[in-house]
Amino acid sequence: MTAARSPWAFARTVYLAAFFSFFYVPILTLFVLSFNDSPVMGFPFKTATTQWYGEAVSDGVLLRALINSVQLGLVSAAIGTALALSAAIGLRYRLPFKKGVIPLMVLPIILPGVVTGVVMLVFFGLSGVSTGLWPTTLIVHVSWVLPFAFLTLYPRIHGFDQTIEEAAMDLGARPTTVFLRIVFPLIRPAVLATFLFAFTLSFDEFVRTFFVIGSQRTVPVHLWILVTEQVAPFLPAVGVIIMLATLSVAAVGFFTMTRASAGRAPRAAQQ
Amino acid sequence: MLLEYYSTYRNTRKLPFVAGQSAPQRRASRGGWLLAPAMAWLFLFTIVPVAMMLVLSFWTSTAYGIKAEFTLDNYRTIFGEPVYLSTFARTLRIAAVTTALTLVVAYPVALIVSRARGGWKAIALLFIFLPFWTSYVVRSFLWLPMLGRNGLINFLLIKLGIVTRPVDWLIYNEGAVYVGLVYAYMLFMFLPIYQSLDKQDRKLEEAASDLGATPARTFWRVILPLSLPGVFSGCTMVFMFACGAYVTPQLLGGASSLMASNVIGSQFQISNNWALGSALSITLMVIVLFCFMLGSSRLGLLQVLSGSRR
Repeated sequence: MTAARSPWAFARTVYLAAFFSFFYVPILTLFVLSFNDSPVMGFPFKTATTQWYGEAVSDGVLLRALINSVQLGLVSAAIGTALALSAAIGLRYRLPFKKGVIPLMVLPIILPGVVTGVVMLVFFGLSGVSTGLWPTTLIVHVSWVLPFAFLTLYPRIHGFDQTIEEAAMDLGARPTTVFLRIVFPLIRPAVLATFLFAFTLSFDEFVRTFFVIGSQRTVPVHLWILVTEQVAPFLPAVGVIIMLATLSVAAVGFFTMTRASAGRAPRAAQQ
Repeated sequence: MLLEYYSTYRNTRKLPFVAGQSAPQRRASRGGWLLAPAMAWLFLFTIVPVAMMLVLSFWTSTAYGIKAEFTLDNYRTIFGEPVYLSTFARTLRIAAVTTALTLVVAYPVALIVSRARGGWKAIALLFIFLPFWTSYVVRSFLWLPMLGRNGLINFLLIKLGIVTRPVDWLIYNEGAVYVGLVYAYMLFMFLPIYQSLDKQDRKLEEAASDLGATPARTFWRVILPLSLPGVFSGCTMVFMFACGAYVTPQLLGGASSLMASNVIGSQFQISNNWALGSALSITLMVIVLFCFMLGSSRLGLLQVLSGSRR
């Protein structure tokens, strides 16, 4: 074992270096190219410029898309979290079709993105609802975030000590009071974390959105249209902006989530 | 982005009914109606639309609109015309190869990271997650300035004197799709494997080595078998996602390496043949659901989604 350690350590270092290069060289390349003063996207690197960032935001479409994405994310996360919370609480009671709940719940995760997209396009088309941000994209986003919100909330709902609730009920509190005064304060951090998680999912959703958004744009749709319609030199700058926006949204969500799970379930936060 | 998903993974492992127990249910069933809004939503916006598409797949699209007469023609087209059959064959092949490649890339990293010391482990995990926090479309688009004619690799090849002119075979083929898909789905393979490796009792390895097993033998007989649920879960997820890949093959694959999702998309956006597109969607959906059921029949539905669990 000791004799084998140093070649093993060497191989390990090489493997990790290759692995992380695979993941980070493309990101760094995009970052470098976003400052390249060249009319074609690519190498060689000429001189540094920030003009592409100016062009990326100049027409206001990116900003409009960003506003759309944030609005859509907030509304769909709110509806999705509310539905998931209600479902997670409801699932604690005795029910006839309990076994069928989870398969139905996870169906939107399992269905391929394009299938969901065209299924909803057909659905809206045949029902005569015109596509756009509201309500078609909102509906698709709520269905998309709902399973994840449920899977995040459900264990938390079950996680806390049910004897507290029972004590409240024994003391004569009505179910509504028990929920508002006991249950909700306990799960509030989890609900907030779930909301943010749902927001990030909605913010980054592309394929499903693409088929039902009509002529409007969210951030990923905007990038997709730029990439497929014209390979413009400012594309890397748009990519970097979107990457940073998504990253900060995800980071906020993640840190709220870890804090929430650290508070609620210390054991789950370790590992 | 997916680090939250990771927490979801971990949490679902604790779901009471996953472990075969039921939650304390001494209360009356009055609260069950709280499930109704979510169920109604999913029924109305998932089941009903899929059912509509199923019906549509047996109709015909004409230049004047959809003709509502039962026909099997769309499915005959799919299973009779080489272009569609080969698309599905290619989709399954790409998904299978992607799954294998992702496994080969992710397993050693999961093993190394799971055996790393505290601080290094946290740093490694952070840097593995970080790329997946960036936008999904950006992650696929990233490979254009890497593999393209003016891309980094061509630039380096020329600089190093290996080639004199940019080569074209780096992009717009199946190889580029593999690169993009491994890049896009690696985390779904890494997570369940990492989890199953991380929670193994290290005493087992010590015991094996005390009993005279070489490190290789310990790996094959102890570590690997115990990590198989994670491998299985990761493979199911990646295969399932790769079957439905749209963005990566559209951006990086050429006309000859388009996958089922791209063909479906074009039926709705270019050819405007909704009936055939519906039949293609139903076919892809059946394939993916079948794979998922195959995977979940061994591990259980939530275990596949939630990673390994023993």
